[in-house]
Amino acid sequence: MDDSQARKFQKDLNAGLVALVLLAVLERSTEDLYGYEIAKRLQRANEGEALFKEGTVYPVLRALAAAGLLTSRVVPSYAGPARRYYRITDEGRAMLGQWTHIWRQTRGFVDRFIEGTDS
Amino acid sequence: MSVNAPRSIDDYLKQLRSALAGEDAALVQDALYDAEEYLRAEVAAHPDRSEADVLEFISSTYGAPEEVAAAYRDTEVKVKAALQTPAPRAAAQGSGVRRFFGVFMDVRAYTSLIYMLLTLATGIAYFTVVVTGLSLSVGFAILIIGIPFFLAFIGVTRVIALGEGRLLEAVTGERMPRRPVHPGPSASWLTRIGDMLKDARTWTTLLYMLLMLPLGIVYFTVAVTVLSVGLAFTAMPFVSVAQHLGLAANLTLFSDDARIGAFVLAEHSLLASLLLGIVGVLLLTLLMHLARGLARAHARLAKTLLVEPGSA
Repeated sequence: MDDSQARKFQKDLNAGLVALVLLAVLERSTEDLYGYEIAKRLQRANEGEALFKEGTVYPVLRALAAAGLLTSRVVPSYAGPARRYYRITDEGRAMLGQWTHIWRQTRGFVDRFIEGTDS
Repeated sequence: MSVNAPRSIDDYLKQLRSALAGEDAALVQDALYDAEEYLRAEVAAHPDRSEADVLEFISSTYGAPEEVAAAYRDTEVKVKAALQTPAPRAAAQGSGVRRFFGVFMDVRAYTSLIYMLLTLATGIAYFTVVVTGLSLSVGFAILIIGIPFFLAFIGVTRVIALGEGRLLEAVTGERMPRRPVHPGPSASWLTRIGDMLKDARTWTTLLYMLLMLPLGIVYFTVAVTVLSVGLAFTAMPFVSVAQHLGLAANLTLFSDDARIGAFVLAEHSLLASLLLGIVGVLLLTLLMHLARGLARAHARLAKTLLVEPGSA
């Protein structure tokens, strides 16, 4: 079992989960956040052990915005390029509710086998 | 991979660009913009460390250029599949007749037609902006406000180019940038002006905006002419029937000057008006096809002039 296989498994898992986590972060936030801020929050939450590279957050943010789950606005910044701030939409909140439900179901289902409580 | 690990932001962006080689120009622009936003924020967040030191750890946080490129590629494929309005099945398959009239089921044909009507207004606006901006820039060149004015003018053209791209993506589905061109690291005004003058995209953007006036006039004229003639022809049989039944004796579609030949005939003969009605429907259908094709070709032109020179 080498490292690259573990990484591939993690990547496959992340495919949908990153979007779920991003929606959750923006739903809980009282203010609009920009990409860098979001990436840093995720990193801090995981004690520095990154489950995914921060660079993968940006394309997913764009995809969510394009799907209407997030809105964004550009704010000029003194410290470099203008930043794009994101905020969750009502549609995004509804989607987050659905996804959260699916995630809980999936987690429970998987755990039942891994923990061996099913027999 | 670690042999040529990027040592500066410019280095990183260059590697990211080459890792994305062959991808859609608009996607490359978005990816570079996002990376630059992150990298500059990261460098600014560690004022005690040099750019090279910060970049040393970037592949473990933001990701190596190849990884980031792969993320954009994957996401783009998924988003495209999920978001693009699927072309109506009926229009894509079936007999020639069904395909011909299937254009009426295609949302893009309608948006394209609206775009054609809109181009007269946008064409005039763009043309005015460019001519005014350029001539004032030349005039102000000898004054102290010449340089900031020119910078502001080019900034405005970039915003317009982004807006036009968004509009065309909505109309035709052609992928266009979702982020503006990155202004790059802050530099002195003179170097910025120099960079702008050297950037081919600055000039092709101006060219596009000038071109929009004649193109807009042609698109608008064609759309309005064919639309009004087609609608009038299509309405002929109904008017004719109404007149024969004595329901609308005074209803006419054309002014006295225009009531010549076929129109007069149509008002007296049901058959002739029916034929005109068929011609009208055919004209309208052709117009929808024309609008869809024209908008698609125009989007490609816009991409060639507004997006691609910057990613060469």
